[in-house]
Amino acid sequence: MTLPTYKEMWQQADEVWTRTARAARTLIKVGVATCSRVVGAEETLETLRREVQARRLDADVMLTGCLGLCYAEPLVEVIRPNVPGILYQLMTADKVASLLETAVAADGNAREHALAVMGDKEFGGLPALGSLEFMRGQVRRLMANCGVTDPESIDHYLARGGYEGLVGALRLKPVEVIDEVKKSGLWGRGGAAFSTGLKWEFLYNAKRKPKYLICNADEGDPGSFVNRNLMESDPQLLVEGMIIGGYATEADKGCIYIRDEYPLPVERMELAVAQARERGLVGEGILGSDFSFELEVVRGAGSYVCGDETGLLSSLEDRRGMPKIKPPFPAQAGVFAMPSNINNVESYTNVPLIMRHGADWWAEMGSEKHKGTKMFSLSGQIQRVGILEVPLGTPTSDVVMRMGGGPPKGRKLKAVQPGGPLSGVIPASDVDIPLEPDPYRERGVLMGSGGLVILDDTNCIVDLCVYFEWFAEDESCGRCTTCFAGTRRMLEILRRISSGRGRLADLELIKLLGSIAQNANCFHGQGAPTAVMSMFRFFEGELLEHVERKRCPAKVCRGLVRYEVLHHSDRLPAAEAICPTNAVVRDNGTYRIDQLKCIKCDACREQAPYAIAVVDEFAPA
Amino acid sequence: MFSQASHNSRVTPVDPVAGSPELLVRISELIEDLSADHVDLLKAFHRIQHEFGYLPHEAVPLLAGKFRTTPAIIFGTIDFYSEVRTAPAAETTVEWCSGPACLLKGSLNIRRALEAILECEMNRTSSNGNFGLRLVQCDGTCHLAPLVRQDGRYIGPLTVSESIEWARRLKGEDGAVQTEGEGAPAEEESSQTAQKVESE
Repeated sequence: MTLPTYKEMWQQADEVWTRTARAARTLIKVGVATCSRVVGAEETLETLRREVQARRLDADVMLTGCLGLCYAEPLVEVIRPNVPGILYQLMTADKVASLLETAVAADGNAREHALAVMGDKEFGGLPALGSLEFMRGQVRRLMANCGVTDPESIDHYLARGGYEGLVGALRLKPVEVIDEVKKSGLWGRGGAAFSTGLKWEFLYNAKRKPKYLICNADEGDPGSFVNRNLMESDPQLLVEGMIIGGYATEADKGCIYIRDEYPLPVERMELAVAQARERGLVGEGILGSDFSFELEVVRGAGSYVCGDETGLLSSLEDRRGMPKIKPPFPAQAGVFAMPSNINNVESYTNVPLIMRHGADWWAEMGSEKHKGTKMFSLSGQIQRVGILEVPLGTPTSDVVMRMGGGPPKGRKLKAVQPGGPLSGVIPASDVDIPLEPDPYRERGVLMGSGGLVILDDTNCIVDLCVYFEWFAEDESCGRCTTCFAGTRRMLEILRRISSGRGRLADLELIKLLGSIAQNANCFHGQGAPTAVMSMFRFFEGELLEHVERKRCPAKVCRGLVRYEVLHHSDRLPAAEAICPTNAVVRDNGTYRIDQLKCIKCDACREQAPYAIAVVDEFAPA
Repeated sequence: MFSQASHNSRVTPVDPVAGSPELLVRISELIEDLSADHVDLLKAFHRIQHEFGYLPHEAVPLLAGKFRTTPAIIFGTIDFYSEVRTAPAAETTVEWCSGPACLLKGSLNIRRALEAILECEMNRTSSNGNFGLRLVQCDGTCHLAPLVRQDGRYIGPLTVSESIEWARRLKGEDGAVQTEGEGAPAEEESSQTAQKVESE
């Protein structure tokens, strides 16, 4: 079998792309990714396909990835010939009929569902997508194909400049590729912020064979989902990045380790690798060169520490995913004791862009010290949950308050947790700092992998720390005593404080535990007390309120509050009905809460907000 | 694809095991093409779990033989991963997201309510075996926070009251039995945060 050359491949791909994207008929794109699938994008896609056929409309229906506007999912884009595409939001299957009637058949706009017009120019009274608050200020390089191409089609990727970077890299010597990556200043996007080029050089210099190139797609940090979006919306970008990495480091085998909670990215990555293999982009003699590279997708089984680089190595070796002791470093002895290199999804996906456009173009974006763009996910107490890509050095407030819309109306920003439970939190007063590692590090916080979780004034910092410590304890691998016993002890103390039995000596104990944790082997143990340390640094007043006055200012900590009927209201029977433990009791026409039965689930207050209130358990009456 | 054998000292006696012969044959078939030191153990877990819904303990000696290690090490590995289950799931499993976005929006309240109504602790099965509550990690569907999942369907954003009503319907109280696509009472549909129930 002779494999097509890149040029032939590109021409064929371009035909496919032109046929769908620039056809003389209407094109309807439905974004299907994990975030939209859970709100019914698949049904929307099916219904659209069925209805278009049933109504004999002159239109194509196409699957695409996610634009990152999770808050408006499911998104449908309708592109009529010679007119910019119009984006319709919240298009569940039941709205398909009305969309087809007004937007496709009658040649009009389904205005009540329309969100924006694709591109930068407004059209027909609808705002441009680029002018939406969420999109303004974003620089979409990694996400250029997200929500535009079909993630299940390699042709779409090729037609939009895909694998150009690989062709360019194959013309250079491996060292030159590494130099180019080094020149760009790309550093690892997984959290440690170590230079990617340097890391590759370590592997390149390793003598033993075979060498392994591993992609860490075990995005375990709860609240961060940027890698997921890349893998399910533009999987070929990661495949290309891995191949270039393999060429530059002279690696033989590649492996993409995806966490178990991401079934759709596993599916799409496997398909992408298979398609690339079909075209001769993975396997023996890639694109006619004498470079060979094997690529495999591995699915994890639910473990956070497998996201640590040596933990991931252990997991690949058919063992418990316990992080190993360094040295030896992975470049010396990694998976199966062979030289290995591990990078984050985002680190690999930046490389095709560097090779395609050059390091200088790539380094145009970003701040003085930190080049390039970075993807962030927004979640928690924020109006617009989603995924966005901004140049490094963008003020955090710009992303959180303007693009994300800040906390819900009437509430105040309290803190931002930048990336994972081990990263710590910054207070609202520091929210203007640029999004890059250094300013965060100065505050004892790690920028991490980019999952911004936003807290507002209804949230309690002690409650959040209990969660983080619970998470660290739950996911500890059990190797180091400072970690598995230290986190447990810390959790006990924090739970004591949040239940009203805290004492001043506890504060010293926590600090001691925090410093002992630095002796753990891997970052999981070392990072476990970071959030608690930020609480000491930025929210000491709130913590002392819990310990000294046994009061939770946000009225969240379960042991420090109780529910009471303070007034009479018509809603009280509803509260009585909703209570899962029958704790709302009626005595002679008046209501009271049976404190022994109450589980403090807040349902009664939701039903009767005027009558029932949360009061401090230990406060003077 | 990984072919570096580095654990030559691992020798495993395959114990004669209890369990139906059909089960053992089926498991052997599933893991037939896998081998040690090829990043295959996770694959074996997934295949067996996909077939049976959980990983039967009868599989352990077979896996140990296949991967040239001891049953104890296989047990340890299974135990390490939270998504590998060693017992069949309950008829209806309610999965409660433990992520920070859900937490900040009050998922702990929902957890307390669900535990009370389904009479079932987290990560346990209710005494009549009908319901299981399972704690799951965040998968980034935070626009639905706080959410619960029932057999792969995502339900959110939920208020505590909505979650209580939902759980009662699930349990068959209030007369109505929850079926897919219907059963949402009128008042709920009219509310701003109506349930979004979709299948995965």
